[in-house]
Amino acid sequence: MSKNNINDFISSVQKTLAEEIESVEQTNDNYVSMVVKPDSFVKVAEMLRDKFGYVIPVAAGGVDYPDENRMQMIYYLVNPKTRFTLTYRVNVSRDDPRLPTLTTVWDGMSFHEREAYEMFGIDFEGHENLVPLLLPPTWKGGYPLRKDFKGEGVE
Amino acid sequence: MSEPKIKPEIMRMSWGPQHPMSGQTRVLLDVDGEKVHKIIADLGFTHRGIEKILENRTLLGGIIPVDRMAMVDSANISIGYVTAADKAYGLEVPERANWIRSLVCEMSRINSHLYAFGLQAEATGYFPAVFLWTTVDREILLDLFEELTGARWSFNFFLPGGVHKDLPEGFKENVIKGVQYLRRRFKDYWAAIVENYMFEIRCNNVAILEPKDALRLGATGPSLRGSGIDIDMRKDEPYAAYGDLDWEVITEDACDVMARTKVRFHEIGQSLNMMEQIAKEIPEGPIKVRFSPFMRAPEGEYYTRVETGRGELGIHMFTDGTTNPCRVKINPPSLRNMYVFERLAELNEMTVADIPVVINSIDPWYLDSDR
Repeated sequence: MSKNNINDFISSVQKTLAEEIESVEQTNDNYVSMVVKPDSFVKVAEMLRDKFGYVIPVAAGGVDYPDENRMQMIYYLVNPKTRFTLTYRVNVSRDDPRLPTLTTVWDGMSFHEREAYEMFGIDFEGHENLVPLLLPPTWKGGYPLRKDFKGEGVE
Repeated sequence: MSEPKIKPEIMRMSWGPQHPMSGQTRVLLDVDGEKVHKIIADLGFTHRGIEKILENRTLLGGIIPVDRMAMVDSANISIGYVTAADKAYGLEVPERANWIRSLVCEMSRINSHLYAFGLQAEATGYFPAVFLWTTVDREILLDLFEELTGARWSFNFFLPGGVHKDLPEGFKENVIKGVQYLRRRFKDYWAAIVENYMFEIRCNNVAILEPKDALRLGATGPSLRGSGIDIDMRKDEPYAAYGDLDWEVITEDACDVMARTKVRFHEIGQSLNMMEQIAKEIPEGPIKVRFSPFMRAPEGEYYTRVETGRGELGIHMFTDGTTNPCRVKINPPSLRNMYVFERLAELNEMTVADIPVVINSIDPWYLDSDR
């Protein structure tokens, strides 16, 4: 992915999706990070798949920012034509983390959303099978990848 | 694991974790007689919380748990983490160190593919001895690892900014000898197994993964290249010395189990060529840059992608100006491929006897999917 293509992508996103996104920027080397407003989360995802060619679901996972009382859900996507990775992000509140599922857009995100559900407690509305993926079914220890997880009370 | 209601004529059976071919996972199969209607993967038997462990370690100390994510392919996993750490510290890796990294990675890839090929031959049910042959041939590589790094498994050889040790005396000659021996062996394998009629009937036209499905479901590595899509991080985003080496991305168009097996097989050939080229042309120079284990990485985030034996591995490292990273997200290849495996039963007609062959063609490594 050349620098020009990245700049073209960023400017075209800024032009067409100015209303829907909070920011789009080049993070390091070859990656672009895009933060979307929660209201247009699914709509922009569909546009990324259909219009910008991001058809490969790579992974998804959360990051916890307890000081700012928010979590960020990050979806990693690849465009098979340009081989270029996009991190598609949305902020959710820590008190009531809810998001519509993106498995309707990218089928392969199913496992990754299940993992974010058990590790961060983000509730994906509309996910067909939202059950823990890696943790045991009897797990009562809280959400392990949140920053305030201490590992106490875990059996 | 929730277990939804199923139709009376369909039986749900548990395959693994005690099945000899399943590895450390359980797979639930909805079967009607011999036919498999649905596959449900139950992962997490080897979940160790590596992402959480990494938050409590320095960047350098994190190499050790990451190295244990996939024992058979540990160099390719740890190079992803080390490349991210290089970026976080802003270290310029010397050219010779990059070539040594590529050499170790290719040896590790052959090790991993040989393991997969041995299991694949065993899974068909006709060639149980082949797993022993590949195990013996892997000794050649393990001896080379031992000579270079001091350990046969899990060698923690890469450092941010370089590698631990330089090539010992006579190592290049041993590499070339090993390459010549393995090339001879692969000719035997090809004639005895891959072109064997019994192997062909178990693998041809089984578990077909069309290119559009491979992309949609997120397949990666040989599973994706077996569907004719030439995505390989070593070419798309060259790290270590891959930009300077002569090699090509292997693809097969048949999309079935045989295609995925052949991709691995030809990739071993490419890796052997690379090993030989590195042994002959490796540049002289320093092997590491000065680096303190308690160095602080400036605040930021760094994402790297590398090609492991099983596909694309992504490491997303968030640093906050302390010695420890504040979050490391690992995007493992096997988790993506396990989802593809789960959906293959819907795309194809499959019998219970096909399950070991199909799961090994995807080649999941549960230590890396579970983390």
